[in-house]
Amino acid sequence: MSVLHRSDPRYPPRLLDLAAPPEPLWWEGDVTLLSREGIAIVGTRRMTPYGDRVAREIAIACALAGVVVVSGLAQGIDSAAHAAALDARGDTVAVLGEGLAAFDPHGRRRRLAARLRDRGCLVSQYEPLFPAQGWMFAKRNATIAALARAVVVVEAPHGSGALITAAAARAVGRDVYAVPGPLGSAASAGANELIATGGARALTGPEALGLHAVPPVRDEVLERLAAGPLSIDALGASSDRIVELLMAGRITRLADGRLARR
Amino acid sequence: MSGFARVTACALWGLETELISVEVDVSSGLPGFDIVGLPDSAVREARERVRAAIRNSGFEFPLRRITVNLAPGERRKEGTGFDLAIALAILRASGQLAVDFGDLCLGELALDGAVRPLRGVLPRASRAVCAGIPAALVATENAAEAAAAGGEAIAVGTLRAAVAHLDGTVRLLPAAPPGPSAEAAWEVDLGDIVGQETPKRALEIAAAGAHNLVMVGPPGTGKTLLAQALPSILAPLEADEAMAASVVHSVAGLVDPARPLLATRPFRAPHHTASRLALVGGGTPPRPGEVSLAHTGALFLDELAQFSPQVLDTLREPMQEGRITIARAGTSATYPARFTLIAAMNPCPCGNLGDLMAPCTCLPDQVDRYNARISGPLLDRVDLRVHVPRVPYVELRDGTARERSAVVRQRVIAARARMRARGRRANAELTPPELRRHCSLGASAEVLLGRAVHDRRLSARAYHRTLRVARTIADLAGSDGVQRDHLASALLLRA
Repeated sequence: MSVLHRSDPRYPPRLLDLAAPPEPLWWEGDVTLLSREGIAIVGTRRMTPYGDRVAREIAIACALAGVVVVSGLAQGIDSAAHAAALDARGDTVAVLGEGLAAFDPHGRRRRLAARLRDRGCLVSQYEPLFPAQGWMFAKRNATIAALARAVVVVEAPHGSGALITAAAARAVGRDVYAVPGPLGSAASAGANELIATGGARALTGPEALGLHAVPPVRDEVLERLAAGPLSIDALGASSDRIVELLMAGRITRLADGRLARR
Repeated sequence: MSGFARVTACALWGLETELISVEVDVSSGLPGFDIVGLPDSAVREARERVRAAIRNSGFEFPLRRITVNLAPGERRKEGTGFDLAIALAILRASGQLAVDFGDLCLGELALDGAVRPLRGVLPRASRAVCAGIPAALVATENAAEAAAAGGEAIAVGTLRAAVAHLDGTVRLLPAAPPGPSAEAAWEVDLGDIVGQETPKRALEIAAAGAHNLVMVGPPGTGKTLLAQALPSILAPLEADEAMAASVVHSVAGLVDPARPLLATRPFRAPHHTASRLALVGGGTPPRPGEVSLAHTGALFLDELAQFSPQVLDTLREPMQEGRITIARAGTSATYPARFTLIAAMNPCPCGNLGDLMAPCTCLPDQVDRYNARISGPLLDRVDLRVHVPRVPYVELRDGTARERSAVVRQRVIAARARMRARGRRANAELTPPELRRHCSLGASAEVLLGRAVHDRRLSARAYHRTLRVARTIADLAGSDGVQRDHLASALLLRA
């Protein structure tokens, strides 16, 4: 774990756009990622399979274009974005809302944090042993917004912390995008409202971010799964075909047994 | 006056039985009544019951030195089943019963001389039949059970009736062996359940091959109902299976006195607060648990994730071995436990994950923790995992005819016949060498399985279990070889 002061040439210049740039920054991993071009992908912890898929697609597009994926290593959208970037051999930075040593998650986020230390970068503006408290996350969100050149909100309900990130991004003049979600889906209500009130542009695809779109696969079964996961009965494809797609990693089985696109 | 007599009884440890020679010596000396041959306290208490029962039956309890020996003497004798034999031996040794006899005597005595029923009469009577003992004297409630073992069963209501029968004053007729049981009426028929085609299909495969099944779905979608429909599609019990399952029920004291032999495969559904002892058996002496009571049938665990993880992990051994050995200080018992596991659980703590109409309020970490309650080794032993979704209203209103259980059951029976021809009752019992012999895959199926093992990191156990399920799917389709499509279905239905 190391400390980065404003006087250090490696201190990311974008953070100076903030009214109160964090001083100092604690970091682990590859500090040079902080000064590279980045796109923030943020959203709710209670994501739906739709949000999971979109977050992954944008993160993969970033990875292929050599753009750093910035997020907060929370459950849900944040984790999906980090993991997809790493899986696609891309670069990613996680800005924590607590001290680096106080961050001690369980299960899959613990493994994700280990991968980030190894191949990405973990950053915090709080002292290493400082535990998480509610007021700390708004400042962390501003740091995420400032580190990136654009912020993408993937699924945010009303009152979501991702909306704070969007507001902070506007304040420092970053582009803000929101992914439109299905009407009536609580997980997308905040993101949809952000678009409706002009707080963000609707994201139509990775091209809008200046990234190459991942070429879409023309496949009847995959298209039927685009709107959301389906049970095997509802999908109505042959077992052979489904197993084929499972093996190819195009679809996955959820914990409840339904099939979803990856 | 002194005397000696010998009467045959039978001891029971778990399912293990041994004929016991109850020897009584009545001699002069200070009046006393001793039992030797490692009696436990229940056997030692027989002294009080026997003394009162003899006196209250109008006989005389000899005021002499009475020694009872339970031979062979090196193993501890448990329970109250020796009362009748001890009393009859005392009466014989004191000359109040005039004839010698070789019948098996099984019964507990009441103080007024009535004969009370025992647990485990079926295995004990079977043991006597094997040893060539023609008749057994048992309590009226145990008569059908003893008759089911194949020998003559004489129902004696009281000690007095037993003596009268033995000395020939009032001969009793042997009880009739229980007739074939009527076909059971099923509580739930598959045809009454709307939609849920994949779960029904999985249930059919589980019934045919004795594969383990987990159903996942939001509350109220019919998981429990589906499980309750399982008995209606299970193949009928074969005679030796019925005997094996009935013996366990007899030892547990759960036999219907009128119908001692099980007519249908057992379906056990313990509540999720069940302890380890209740599930796998235990206590001193060790009694059979739910896994053994479900032997040859199904064990249904509703709300699987609510069971304590420690309790669930004790299922691993019986699921793999088909039996469970319960060891206690100085004693151990092995019970059969070859059951099909049927489990139901919610997809997440709130139950709504994946439900289109009710949003899930759980965080991803909570869902992970919830699923982690079911350990990996246990999940590895699950062959089929299906999602049971909410059925839309339009389908619920649909009145078109659906396949009845009787039709599905015919397919299950036909598949079982194919399995029987290969020498196993159900495909779940196929050993790896047998799998190699009977599951010859086509080239394209081989490629598919190879990729599945590599990409999805199937364990060796999972690999074999997948093959067994594929074999069952092929059997249900009436196919000799395992086709690529059968294998694909098996992979898809795997957890």
